[in-house]
Amino acid sequence: MADRLCMVVSEGTFDKAYMPLIMGTTAAASGTEVHVFYTFFGTGLMKKNTKPKLPGMYRLFTGMFQKKMAAAGVPKHDEMVKQAMDMGVNFYACSTTMKLMGVKESDLKPGVKVLGAAAFLKLASEANTTLFIG
Amino acid sequence: MQKDTTLDARGLMCPMPIVNLAKKVKEMKSGQVLELLADDVGAKEDVPAWCSRTGNALIGTEEEGKLLKFYVKLK
Repeated sequence: MADRLCMVVSEGTFDKAYMPLIMGTTAAASGTEVHVFYTFFGTGLMKKNTKPKLPGMYRLFTGMFQKKMAAAGVPKHDEMVKQAMDMGVNFYACSTTMKLMGVKESDLKPGVKVLGAAAFLKLASEANTTLFIG
Repeated sequence: MQKDTTLDARGLMCPMPIVNLAKKVKEMKSGQVLELLADDVGAKEDVPAWCSRTGNALIGTEEEGKLLKFYVKLK
C-alpha cells in the first residue's frame, strides 16, 4: 500500500478550508503522497480568490481568526493552497458538482484537476489513510 | 548540543514549524544537525513523529520554559 493520504472535503467554510491544508501540508512535509477531493460545498474552495468564512454566526469572527493565524505564520487560503501544491499536494474538483453549481474549469485555481468519483475512489482504495472533512 | 544550523519557528503554529522544517532539511546535507526552536505545544509530539516518518534522527530535545529545542540529525 502506498504511503498516501486521501481526503474528501464537502463543506466550504473557513474551518473545513484549513483542516485539509494543515493535514495535507504536514503529510507532504513527511514525504506522504496527498490527494484532496473537493465536492458539493467544498468545491467553491478550489475557485480562484477564495475567502472562506467561519460557519453560521461565527462568520463575524473570521477576520479575527485570520489575523491570529497570520500572526502565527499560517498563510491565507489561496496562498496556502499554492504552498501545498508546491509541496506536491494534489487538488481535485468534483466534476459532478462543477456541473450542478455551474463552475467552469477556467474558474478553478491553476493546478486544480477535475476528477470523477471512480478515479478518486481508485486513489483512495490504494491509500493507507483516508479522511472525510465534512 | 553541536549544530550546523538553526531554524527559528518560535511564534509559529501548526503546521508551519513542520512545513518549514521539511523545507530547511532539503537545503542541508546528510549527517548535518539542525536545531529547531519552537514554542507551539503541538511541536512536542509533532517533531518526533515527523522524524520517525521521515527517517531522520532526533538526537536531543531541551525545554526552557515555553521554549522547545529539537536537534535533528539528517539521514
